[in-house]
Amino acid sequence: MADAFIALFTLDNLTFLFIGTALGIVVGAIPGLTASMLIALTLPLTFHMDPVSAVTLLIGEYVGGISGGLIMAILLRMPGTPSSIVTTFDGYPMAQKGQAERALALGIMASVVGGIISWGFLAGMSPSLARFALQFGPWEYFTLVLMALVMLAVLSQGSMVKGLLGATLGMSFALPGIDSSIGQARLTFGSDALLSGFGLLPVLIGAFAISQILRDSATPQTIGDMKLPSRHLPIYRRDLSYIPRLVRGSVIGTWIGLLPGIGGNIAALVSYSTEKQISREPEKFGTGYEPGVIAAESANNASIGGALIPLITMGIPGSVTEAILIGALTIHNLQPGPLLFQGAPEIAYGIIAAYFVANVLMLMLMWGLVRYIAQIVRLPRSGLMAVILVFCVTGSYAVNSSFIDVWVMIGFGVIGLGLEYCKVPLGPFVIGFVLSPIAEEQLRASLMMSDGNLAEILARPYALLFLALAVATVAWPAIAKRISDRETTGKDIV
Amino acid sequence: MEDKARKTIADLVLAALTLGVAAILIIGAQSLPPPRFEPLGSAALPRILGGLLIVFALIIAAGVLIRHRSSAPAPQQDTTTPKVDPKRGALVFIALIAYVFAVDVLRVPFIAATPLFVIAAGVAISGVNRRGLIAFAALGLLLAVFISTVFERLLYIRIG
Repeated sequence: MADAFIALFTLDNLTFLFIGTALGIVVGAIPGLTASMLIALTLPLTFHMDPVSAVTLLIGEYVGGISGGLIMAILLRMPGTPSSIVTTFDGYPMAQKGQAERALALGIMASVVGGIISWGFLAGMSPSLARFALQFGPWEYFTLVLMALVMLAVLSQGSMVKGLLGATLGMSFALPGIDSSIGQARLTFGSDALLSGFGLLPVLIGAFAISQILRDSATPQTIGDMKLPSRHLPIYRRDLSYIPRLVRGSVIGTWIGLLPGIGGNIAALVSYSTEKQISREPEKFGTGYEPGVIAAESANNASIGGALIPLITMGIPGSVTEAILIGALTIHNLQPGPLLFQGAPEIAYGIIAAYFVANVLMLMLMWGLVRYIAQIVRLPRSGLMAVILVFCVTGSYAVNSSFIDVWVMIGFGVIGLGLEYCKVPLGPFVIGFVLSPIAEEQLRASLMMSDGNLAEILARPYALLFLALAVATVAWPAIAKRISDRETTGKDIV
Repeated sequence: MEDKARKTIADLVLAALTLGVAAILIIGAQSLPPPRFEPLGSAALPRILGGLLIVFALIIAAGVLIRHRSSAPAPQQDTTTPKVDPKRGALVFIALIAYVFAVDVLRVPFIAATPLFVIAAGVAISGVNRRGLIAFAALGLLLAVFISTVFERLLYIRIG
């Protein structure tokens, strides 16, 4: 680990980490723009970079992107990112009472503490978890991927069927191209352009950036009156009494971040609800109460560290942003998973070290520049959107110097827009696209090892456990409804 | 009522398109060779996914039918979300298609096409005014010069 920090402390890496964190904060502060969109757009620029520098840039963007969301959540009740929705509950009322600076100070401090505590879990658990995952064979990997995908689809917002449909559609779009197992063209229908399949980057940029820009350009900009915060962000000695709340929020955020598909917004909500339930003054929550801001911000930032644990130890993305990070690693011929710690320790430990330093940089940048960052929202949105669209086009083109990728990106932009219109969540769609080749490869390897005998899975306890969890995740909503119906009927009879 | 009709149409279109994708997968899988070196073969996953898509499409279509037969009121529309003007989104999309077509097919130089696109997209979103036009043109030109310089000098990629 010490080596990772030493390797990170080169001028190049620190510069990229600084740029990434700063860009992330700015993008996170702008409502409608997200960390995943920023990471997808900057991914083409990392092709020519050293893998450690590329990873530091993207990790900085991720941390900055989630943290920046609190600024507009507090000042305008417009969360810059979905993770900051819960911050509006108490942050905005505090700003209305003239305590915007105090809310920002607490939000920034809670974000940093959340990030650093989850870093402790990431650094402490990842190497041993990776060693444990080395025992996994193809059956375990196949069922693990299946479980992650099912959990993501089921736990996405909206209908479970549409979540599962999104994941299946995403997997289907990953099928065209050369089947690497036998070298046979599959679902290309005679098109040479489809031989290499749909590229990850055009799909990501199209599904997320293009569809979002097209949707946002149809929505008028409504920015309310905003009083800029002063340069002084107050923090007091008595704030040390918030340490137990900070630790609680961070631990909740980390553990929720570990689960695929749940994300920072739910982590913040669970932390906020827990804090409210155990508080002696629950009635104060939602009225501009300081512990409300602390609970939300510590948990949403901690969820990043939690989500990075399954990513680097098992190659399982918990959200779209992690799916893009997997794409970034595979572009550099690196496969996230337990072998990353053996094959490319500088990357595995580099991610862990970069996550810590990005949190420190985020603290410095947000503490010093929050007043100026807040003014970004006043920039004309039309120009910003046009600029992002140009970056989408050039970013997709840069992958293979081919306009086919640009047309693919536009096509997936339309698909993304259509799916959102039909309330099909995009997260499972994109993660299905990323995980489909891994799932197929592992299933094929499993069946080859067991001579096509599916019953072999019964002899693999971890694979059975993952499969059971996947089935339970799908069955749980129906079981929960039945239990609740029975309770209601029981009450009616009484 | 309007929201309920919109949801019904969206779900029916989604079910139809899903069936279309399933048909493509299943038809495409028919031309693939049977498994030779391993038990699963190339056609298995397209068939499995095609089957799953058919099931999901049928569930969604059945949901539409059930909703149609029941007289349950549609969920209330969210009044807090700002009003959407799809015309502006459509204009931005047309500008994007024209921009890529110009650089890819018509071979218009990137430095010339980009400012025109930024003007078109900017005007489509915020409306026409003289100051805006000048600002968008300047922004587009700066952006085009910046991107082409970075791509050509640092990444050795020529756009167009």
